[in-house]
Amino acid sequence: MKIILLILSTVLVNNFVLHYFLGICPFLGVTGRIKSAIAMGLATTFVMTLTATIIWPIEHLILFKFNLSFLEYVVAILVIASLVQVIEMFIRKVSPVIYRTLGIYLPLITTNCSILFLALLIPLRGYNFLESVVFGFAAGIGFTLVMVIMGAIREELDFADIPESFKGAPITLIIAGLLALVFMGFSGLISA
Amino acid sequence: MNLILASILTMGGLSALFAIFLAIMEKRFKVEEDTRIDKITNILPGINCGGCGYGSCRALAEAMVKGEAPLDSCVLGGKVEEIAKILGVKFESGKNEKKIAFIKCGATDSQRRKKAVYEGVESCQAANMIAGGENICPYGCLGYGDCEKVCPFGAITLIEGLPRVDSQKCTGCGKCVEACPRDLISLEYIRDEISYRVACSSLDKGKRARVACSKACIGCGLCVKICPFDASYLENNLAKIDQRNCQRCGLCAWRCPTGAILEYL
Repeated sequence: MKIILLILSTVLVNNFVLHYFLGICPFLGVTGRIKSAIAMGLATTFVMTLTATIIWPIEHLILFKFNLSFLEYVVAILVIASLVQVIEMFIRKVSPVIYRTLGIYLPLITTNCSILFLALLIPLRGYNFLESVVFGFAAGIGFTLVMVIMGAIREELDFADIPESFKGAPITLIIAGLLALVFMGFSGLISA
Repeated sequence: MNLILASILTMGGLSALFAIFLAIMEKRFKVEEDTRIDKITNILPGINCGGCGYGSCRALAEAMVKGEAPLDSCVLGGKVEEIAKILGVKFESGKNEKKIAFIKCGATDSQRRKKAVYEGVESCQAANMIAGGENICPYGCLGYGDCEKVCPFGAITLIEGLPRVDSQKCTGCGKCVEACPRDLISLEYIRDEISYRVACSSLDKGKRARVACSKACIGCGLCVKICPFDASYLENNLAKIDQRNCQRCGLCAWRCPTGAILEYL
């Protein structure tokens, strides 16, 4: 039950993008088409899940034992950078098309603040191993969900009659704001 | 002192661990690439100025290997002969060459089989969004003339639902390439007066392509067999003609059972 609550609250209520406002860069940059939004979301989910899986043992078995929690940031960045490298190689091998669509945003997962936030939040919230893995996965799913919603809306926008001065970035930011308002409605979903 | 030692050991150990892991992954996921791309990239200036129209020198090298870009596209000039040697082709100056639009679909409205009746907005973009329009073929021309509307030079006219390009009027501006929702239009160099090109984009296997359209390339490979100059080749069930090797003999167009290879003037 606790796990289900954790998933729901991470995906919907405390969504990384629309509640904490993290990872806005890919949220605005790669959502022009649904396909690249899904690919980016899945790549980020992969990195988030693995980061949570790897960072928990490192924190609990090494850093906390030797009183080295000031190394948290550096270690987190090391883990994230390595994982992004792996997924970059993987995507390049599996699908050159997606590799090219994602372009610069793929290596930029490294500097996606939502992943660093995840890595730093896990020890703060005092999750156990299973919870932290689920938390990482759910955070990724939440990110993917928002990316897909944004991608779908922006694809439909191609046919909308938008005033000249709102075209491009302004309308995208307005939609992002409206989406954040919509997601605020989820805050009553779980009372905890 | 202990703290410093411990942190050095921790960071060093973790970094080494990840380095080994990455090295193993690198070996596993190695991408086999055409070695010529690397060689040409080394010859090009390598400053990624973008003057050629490609994002980087490497992207240009890839296009050169594929035969999409002429060998002297680099605006800084450079060692064109060396590039030609790597690719094993003869260099012909591209300065007097002109790029014009070609439409990679050759079926008129009556030749395309329909799966439904479309009565929406008369635009390819809209039709493509609604279950791919009324044609069975998911690759071919939709025939609502988005390219005709966007052409600033009046070089494209729809005849029987198929856009035709007037090679005299076309300037190669590329507006139609962006307008086509199915990426059917490409800008290509014309050298001689006549050229033979595959007017089809269907990647379906023979039977499916045939069902969808009577002019479809069915990937039979007869053009590959008959070509005396090794200019035709098959890629994903679709015939292609390498214009650098083509000697305009026209045998492929004569042999093609569906008439998917057209003679362009």
